[in-house]
Amino acid sequence: MAIANDMPAIRIQGLTKRYGSGDTAVDALKGVDMTVAPGEVVGLIGPSGSGKSTLLKCLGAVIEPTAGRMEISGEAIYDGGWKLDDLRALRRDRIGFIFQAPYLISFLDVTDNVALLPMLAGARNADARSRARELLEALDVGHRAAARISQLSGGEQQRVAIARALANRPPVILADEPTAPLDSERALTVVRILNGMAVKFGAAIIVVTHDEKIIPTFRRLYHIRDGRTQEEAGEGRAP
Amino acid sequence: MGLGLLIGVTLSMAGIYRGMVEDATVLIDGSGADIWVVQQGTLGPYAEPSSLRDDVVRSIAGLPGVAAAGNAAYLTMQVGRGSTESRVLLVGFEPGRPGEPGHLIAGRPVTRGHYEAVADEKTGMRVGERVRIRRHDYEVVGLTRRMVSASGDPMLFVPLKDAQEVQFLKDNDALVNERERTAANPAFNRPGVPGLLEAVQASQAQSRQVNSVLVRLAEGADADAVAENIRRWKRLQAYTKAQMEEILVAKLIATSARQIGMFLVILSVVSAAIVAFIIYTLTVNKVREIAVLKLIGATDATIGGMILQQALGLGLIGFTVGRIVAGLWAPVFPKYVLLLPGDAARGFAAVMAICALASIVAIRAALRVDPAEAIGG
Repeated sequence: MAIANDMPAIRIQGLTKRYGSGDTAVDALKGVDMTVAPGEVVGLIGPSGSGKSTLLKCLGAVIEPTAGRMEISGEAIYDGGWKLDDLRALRRDRIGFIFQAPYLISFLDVTDNVALLPMLAGARNADARSRARELLEALDVGHRAAARISQLSGGEQQRVAIARALANRPPVILADEPTAPLDSERALTVVRILNGMAVKFGAAIIVVTHDEKIIPTFRRLYHIRDGRTQEEAGEGRAP
Repeated sequence: MGLGLLIGVTLSMAGIYRGMVEDATVLIDGSGADIWVVQQGTLGPYAEPSSLRDDVVRSIAGLPGVAAAGNAAYLTMQVGRGSTESRVLLVGFEPGRPGEPGHLIAGRPVTRGHYEAVADEKTGMRVGERVRIRRHDYEVVGLTRRMVSASGDPMLFVPLKDAQEVQFLKDNDALVNERERTAANPAFNRPGVPGLLEAVQASQAQSRQVNSVLVRLAEGADADAVAENIRRWKRLQAYTKAQMEEILVAKLIATSARQIGMFLVILSVVSAAIVAFIIYTLTVNKVREIAVLKLIGATDATIGGMILQQALGLGLIGFTVGRIVAGLWAPVFPKYVLLLPGDAARGFAAVMAICALASIVAIRAALRVDPAEAIGG
């Protein structure tokens, strides 16, 4: 998919999410606005219960917002209702996910873990594996391409998980606390990798984090409080 | 490993059944007979007791289509070997006639009329060893292989006269008592008939009984026709090889076969339950990974396929371990365990089918996982 540089990779306007109804209704999101450009990495921070996970689930198309609008690469995917029939295909092809733990498939080798996504999207086996090896090389784990997951270190597994998220060249990547279990050095390494990949592949990366070690590395931050976002300028320190 | 051992036990149970059938077949083939002549109305000599006079063999040998006939006596008993005992099927035979031991793997055939024996190697006896049978010592002069009874007891071949003595003759005390009892009977001890008592007592001190007459057919003779001839004219029961196989397999070992069949069913159910439990536990422990897979766009078919693949992989490993251990421990079993490739193939198919069925529970659980569980705490 071609990404126009003048078009945001993701734009959210007035997004709301209400759980329940009547007296017991809870408004988890109360009109979230967010815009992230291709190649940009932004932080999404906020205290527990502020709505980070709900926003991530809405962005990931696993729960349906109550109102508002979401666009990916200029195409509306939600506008008072889903605009696409196949949300599974949307998640597979246009959104990459990185989690706190790698959650790789233990009985597949490294290459197959990464190649799985292109194959799910219909790519030929050889093409998918070739793309996987290319990504693994870019992430400096090319030499472990044939290894079993259990043979990798924690840092290597996280790189493979990042490669998997990039496998279908999605315009948007959602990273949910990707550095939480890591020490400072390894956490900053992951941020460095994410920054590099955002630039290299033109992906917009939204990093949900509590991690004080990496917050100063973002140039732009969205602070979410009580279901509303507030944009802040970050320090933009080199990781 | 546990599943592998269970599959090993299952394969061994099938092997034990095959071994029983094989033992029955070997018993029939090893005798060298085409027809078994036994007491009328019995399924003898292996399935029921049968008693015939040993001169019957002469009249049978003269029938059309009969190439050779020989008396045979069978008796399952304990044989003394020094301070230990072995359980054997003692076979009395007439050298050169049907019923003699087949191929010898060591030693020589029985050449003397008394107190020599040929043993199956499974008795553990050695050539030159002396074994105690009732009141006499016998020298083992030769060894055979795979000559066992339908119940798996190894055979010990001795001359017919010795086997008759072992089976039918009474001990000395019983003989003395019997003589006194006969002498006290006025019907056998008449004052006016000299020699009657001695004649009766002499007849009691010898045996003329055998269990079966084994018949070898002349080339081209029809077994059914010869057997019918014996039944009609000699007023005895005669079984062809096919009929004897039917008696041994369908009647003698039928109960054991059903018993083993029940064990196989139970083991199959237990194996299925174990596989289902393992796969279900593995799946439940990977709810987050499954949610991630769903989140990144894996279809239900892909996830179901992965679980099925794991279940089949588990079955493959279990079957491989089971087949290896079954092969390793088969020789240790006291009875013959025959592991046929066909049974292994059927066992493999059954294991795969059980694993596939067992994975259904886990697949259903996996498909209920919400992809939203992958995000957040």
